[in-house]
Amino acid sequence: MKTFHARMRFGSAACSLAVLMLAACGGGSSGGGLGSGDLLVGVLAPFSGADAGLGPAYYAACLAAAPAINNNGGVGGRQVKCQQFDTRGEPADAAPAASAMVAGNSNLMAVVGCTSDEASAVAPIVDKAHIPMFCMTGQSEFNKTNLKYFHRLVPADVYDAFAMVGSALYGPNHAPYKNAALVFGDDIGSQAFVDPATKAFTKLGGKIAINQPIKLGASSYRTEVAAMLKSNPDVILTEALGSAGTYLKEVKTQNGGKMIPFIGTSATIDPTWFQQVRDAIGIDDLLKYYAGVDLGYTFSGPAYSEFLTNLNAAASTFKDAPKYKQRGSTLHLYDGIIMTALAMVATNSADPKVYNSKIIDIANGTSSATVVNTYKDGVAALKAGKSIRFVGAGGENNFDQYNNSQSGYILVGYDKDGNEVTVGHLTPDQTSKLIAAGG
Amino acid sequence: MDLYVAAFGFGLVGMSVIAIAAVGFTMQFGITNMINLAYGEVMISSAYVAYYVNKAGVTIWVGMIAGALFGAVFSFLLNRFVYAPFQRKGTSHIGMVIVSLAVSLMIANLLLPIVGYYSVSYQDTTGGLLRAGGIVLTTNQIAIIGVAVVLMLLIHGLLRYTRLGKAMRATAANPTLARNCGIPTQRVIDAVWLITGALCGLAGVVAAMNSDSFAISNGAGFLITALAAAVLGGAGQPYGAMIGAVIIGLVTELSAAAWAPEYKEVVAFGILVLVMVLRPQGLLAKRGALAAAG
Repeated sequence: MKTFHARMRFGSAACSLAVLMLAACGGGSSGGGLGSGDLLVGVLAPFSGADAGLGPAYYAACLAAAPAINNNGGVGGRQVKCQQFDTRGEPADAAPAASAMVAGNSNLMAVVGCTSDEASAVAPIVDKAHIPMFCMTGQSEFNKTNLKYFHRLVPADVYDAFAMVGSALYGPNHAPYKNAALVFGDDIGSQAFVDPATKAFTKLGGKIAINQPIKLGASSYRTEVAAMLKSNPDVILTEALGSAGTYLKEVKTQNGGKMIPFIGTSATIDPTWFQQVRDAIGIDDLLKYYAGVDLGYTFSGPAYSEFLTNLNAAASTFKDAPKYKQRGSTLHLYDGIIMTALAMVATNSADPKVYNSKIIDIANGTSSATVVNTYKDGVAALKAGKSIRFVGAGGENNFDQYNNSQSGYILVGYDKDGNEVTVGHLTPDQTSKLIAAGG
Repeated sequence: MDLYVAAFGFGLVGMSVIAIAAVGFTMQFGITNMINLAYGEVMISSAYVAYYVNKAGVTIWVGMIAGALFGAVFSFLLNRFVYAPFQRKGTSHIGMVIVSLAVSLMIANLLLPIVGYYSVSYQDTTGGLLRAGGIVLTTNQIAIIGVAVVLMLLIHGLLRYTRLGKAMRATAANPTLARNCGIPTQRVIDAVWLITGALCGLAGVVAAMNSDSFAISNGAGFLITALAAAVLGGAGQPYGAMIGAVIIGLVTELSAAAWAPEYKEVVAFGILVLVMVLRPQGLLAKRGALAAAG
C-alpha cells in the first residue's frame, strides 16, 4: 500500500508539474508583437448538467465576436476561434476542465463564462495562467477580488437581489407585495440571492413567508410546492434554472390552475428559461404573472447592430445563437472579447501580462478618449494614435479597482415571442433605499 | 398534518413511477445478468419519442405506447448488437458495466444535437385536480398510479402463471440447466429485453409526465432512482424493487414535508445505505420471483 501511495503521490506531483509547465507556456508569449496563428477564446461554462442552458449563451457571444474581429483584419492578422470547455456547473468538474484548458492551449487570448457555479474554482486557475477572464458570476467574494485577470461585467448578485425586491415593492401594475416566498435552487449561484433579498425585503416592511431552497434537477416538487402554498405568499422570488418549469407548473396545478406572481433574476431573461416556463405554464400566464430584472440595455446602436448581424450569421455554426439576441450576458461577453482584442492591438502584444491592464483602460476610457462602438473603428482609431473608449453592445462599462463594472437595473417582462420588454425603472431614491436596507 | 397527508399522496405518485422503472431494471439484471447503466438514457430517449408524438397533436397516452414500443425495440437491439457480442466473448461483469456506461454516454451525446439541452413539456398532461382527505392529485397522476398497479399485476401474472414467466425464472436461476432442460434461453432473453425495454420506455414517459418538464440531463437521475429501488429491494427481485420503490417514493416526499426539501433525496438514499449496511443482499434477496428455488 505504501508503494502504491508513493506512486500516486509521485504521479500527482508529476501531473501537477506538467500542468503548471504547460500553463506557463500557454500563458506567456514573449511580449512584443502580435505573433501568428489562431487565437482562442475559451468558453468555460456549464454545457451539461442542471445549468446547461448557460454555456450556449456565452458560446453565442464568442461566435458573434469572432467575425467582428476576424472580418476586420483579425488581431494583427490572427484569427479568433471559439472553443467550449464544459464545467458541468460543478466545481469538481470545472477545476480539471480549466486546468486542461490552460495547459492544452497556448494561444488562449481570453476566457469567458465562469458562472457562479464554478467561478470560485476556476478563476484562480485562469488567473495563475495569466489569461484575462470575463466571468458571469455575481458572487460577493469577487466584489473585492485580488485576481488581476478577473473581470466582471455584471453587478454582484446582491444588486440583482435588491432589484428583485425593488420589483416586488415598487414595480408597476401591482400593489406592493408584502409576503414573499423565496424559491431558489440549492446551487451556490442561486443561493447567493437569498440573504440580500431577505434583508432588503424585511427591512422595507415585507415578510418572508417561506425560504425554500430546492434541489435542482429533482423529478418533482409537489411537496415543496404544497408547503410553499401553505405559507400563502403573494409573490415568489426565484431563480431555479433548469427546474423552473417543473416547479411553476406544479404551483399552477396545486393552486387550482391559477399562478402566483413570480419575479426572476436577470438570469431568467434567457430564451431557454422562457421556452421551458412557457411550455410548462402557458404563454398567457407567463406574460401575466412573470416579472424580471435586467441591466438597462438599449438593444440599439452601431455596436448592437453589428452584434446582431454576427449573431444571426452564427446560426450556421450554432443554430440557437440568434435566440440570445437580448441575453445580457451574451452582449457583455461579446464586448469583453472585443475589448480584449482591442487591448492586444493597442499594446501590440499577444502577451496577456502586457495587454491585460489595457482592457480596463479601453473599457473605462479617459475624458479625452474617442468613443468607438466596433472593433473596426477601434483599430482605426488606435492606428491613428488616438486613445479610445469602447462602448459595446451591452453599453458603457465602468470598472472599479477590483475589475468589477457596475450599471443600473430595469424592470422587465417578456412579449409573446420571448423578447424582453421594459416595464419600469427603479428611481435613484428607491435604489438607495434598497441598497441601504440590504446592507 | 395536512402537508404530511398531501406528501403521502405525492409519494404514491412518485413510488408508482419508480416502481415501473425499477421492476424493469431489476428483471433485466436478474434474468440476463446485465447491469444496464444505459437504462436511464433509454428512458429519456423514450420520453422524447413520446414528446414528438405528443407534439404532433396526438394524446400523450398514445405517446406513452410509442415510448414503450421504442424502449422495447431499442433495448432489444442494444442487447443484440452491443451487449450480447461482448458477453459471448466472455467479458467480465465489471467489463459489461463499463460497456453499458459507455453506451449510456454515447446515447446522451448522440441525443443532445437532436433534442437540444433545453427542457420540454408534454401538452395537456395535467388533468383536473381531485382532493380527498388532504390528498391533492390530478386525474393524470391518478392514472399514472393506475398504470403502475396494472403493470405490477401483469408482471406478477407473467412471472407466476405463464410459461414464459416460468422460463424466465428458470433462466435466471441457472441458464445452463434451463437450456439443458429444453428451454430456449436465447429466445427467453430476447423476450426479457423486449419486456423490460417496454417497461423502461413506459417508465421514461411516466417519469417525464411526473416531472412536468424534462431535459436530456434527467436520464442520469432516472437511472439512480431506479437503481436505488432495485438495490434496496434486492438486486434481481421484482417484488423487492416494488417494495424499494414504495420506500423511496414515500420517504422522499415525507422527508421533504418534515425537513428541508433540498435534502429529501439525501434522506431516501441514507435509508438505502442503512439497509445495505444491515442487510447487504437487499430486503427480499432469495425470496423474490426470480430467486432460485429453496
